[in-house]
Amino acid sequence: MADKGNDPAVIWQTMIGEMEKGFNSFASQAMASPEFSKVMNQVGGVTAGAQKQLGELMEKYLVSMNLPSRAQMVGMAERIQAIEGQLNEIKAMLQQVHHNSLTPESGRGMPRPPRTRQPPSADGEKK
Amino acid sequence: MTASAGLKSPGLDLTSIPERIQSEVQRAIQRSIKGVEYIASSGPSLGSTPKDVLLSRGTLNLYHYRPMADEIYRVPILIVMATTNRGYILDLVPGQSFVEFLLKRGYDVYMMDWTAPKPEEKSLRMEDYVLDFIPDCIRRVQQDSGEQDVSVIGYCFGGVLSLLYGSIHNDGPMKNLICFTTPIDFREMKLFSNFSDRRYFDVDRLVDSVGNVPGDMIMTSFDMLRPASRAFSQVQLWDNIWNDEYVKGYRMMDRWGSDTLPLAGEYFRAITKDLMWDNKLYNDTMTVGGRAANIAEIKVPILHAVAEHDHIVPYDAAKHLITKVGSSDKEEVMLKGGHVSLVAGANAIKRLWPKLDNWLGKRST
Repeated sequence: MADKGNDPAVIWQTMIGEMEKGFNSFASQAMASPEFSKVMNQVGGVTAGAQKQLGELMEKYLVSMNLPSRAQMVGMAERIQAIEGQLNEIKAMLQQVHHNSLTPESGRGMPRPPRTRQPPSADGEKK
Repeated sequence: MTASAGLKSPGLDLTSIPERIQSEVQRAIQRSIKGVEYIASSGPSLGSTPKDVLLSRGTLNLYHYRPMADEIYRVPILIVMATTNRGYILDLVPGQSFVEFLLKRGYDVYMMDWTAPKPEEKSLRMEDYVLDFIPDCIRRVQQDSGEQDVSVIGYCFGGVLSLLYGSIHNDGPMKNLICFTTPIDFREMKLFSNFSDRRYFDVDRLVDSVGNVPGDMIMTSFDMLRPASRAFSQVQLWDNIWNDEYVKGYRMMDRWGSDTLPLAGEYFRAITKDLMWDNKLYNDTMTVGGRAANIAEIKVPILHAVAEHDHIVPYDAAKHLITKVGSSDKEEVMLKGGHVSLVAGANAIKRLWPKLDNWLGKRST
């Protein structure tokens, strides 16, 4: 069997691992500087501001075109999801009621295990 | 001198080369086949341990997992999941599910899990989580289980919320508290601290602009802690794509890691100002809804599990928890692993979970 130190697969995996550590370490050092924070937050702030302004502009444009905005579509999707969720809950409840009427000892109405469990003793046996 | 000895060079057995080539060719073929399978198939189904939804309030869901043991401990457990991530990390697949482990060891398990806050939930504040959501869930666990005592397990920021709850409601009904990788000293989360430097990070402008802080932004900030890892993980995936177990593990973690939740705007504002900027939890000046939240007021038995290689919550950020709480029965345990693998990795099955069972079992009767 080949020595692991000379196994090309092992060498490749070690190299990848070391490269990852090296990149991460280098990037972490760079990102720990106040300058990085300043630049990152300036860019982030500008992006957030621009996104907000663009969003408002687009919303006005869509209103003028008599089209729904993304926020309205998301709102509608959420309402549909909420309705679906409620329907599923009602369906589950109906199934539960139906199931319980057939077999009274099932579902959430099922008797739960007794709360009498004791921890295993020091030798590993359950008390 | 034998023929085989003649083929040996220092550290390399030349007779094994054909065997290695054959193995590599087989793996290359497997990579191609499995690569197509990977693209064409969905990942494993996660979070499938049978459960009932006891409560659904906007961003909050309270689950009760169906017991799997014939006899259970008297005291139920309420797991408080971190608000940035989905709870299925603690219930990946059968055999690698923390929840399933607890159920099989005879615990009655409830979980507070989160969904993305809706735009109208941007005004949720820290006090909504600590003084409303957790107490409401505790009440429902009490009602459902018929027990007054409840053990609480908080993961990462779920641990912070549990500590805040426990320090305000220090007269009960929390019986035991277990925290996983929970930060206390936010100055020591060096990169997060730098990203949110108050001189440059205008949290008010951000929250006022976006409402809820997008999940992508939260995920990017996590990724930036190890910026090369996502790219290198793709290389490692290709390298190991012939290995079904590796691919299964990769898909579970990758899906979860990409499923980062947005944070409610006001809640994010409070985290930034009170914890990242003023480090109030560490400085014992934290208040929630006008009520002092000093963790020295926590007197219940507490276990804090931290990970040796945690890059998200470094040990220096977590180490003061045990010294600062007022409990006399307290323990910190440091285990091998990272922030996620500590609680959900393949090795958690033999490291953290048995340790937790051993600690909690005798305190759950």
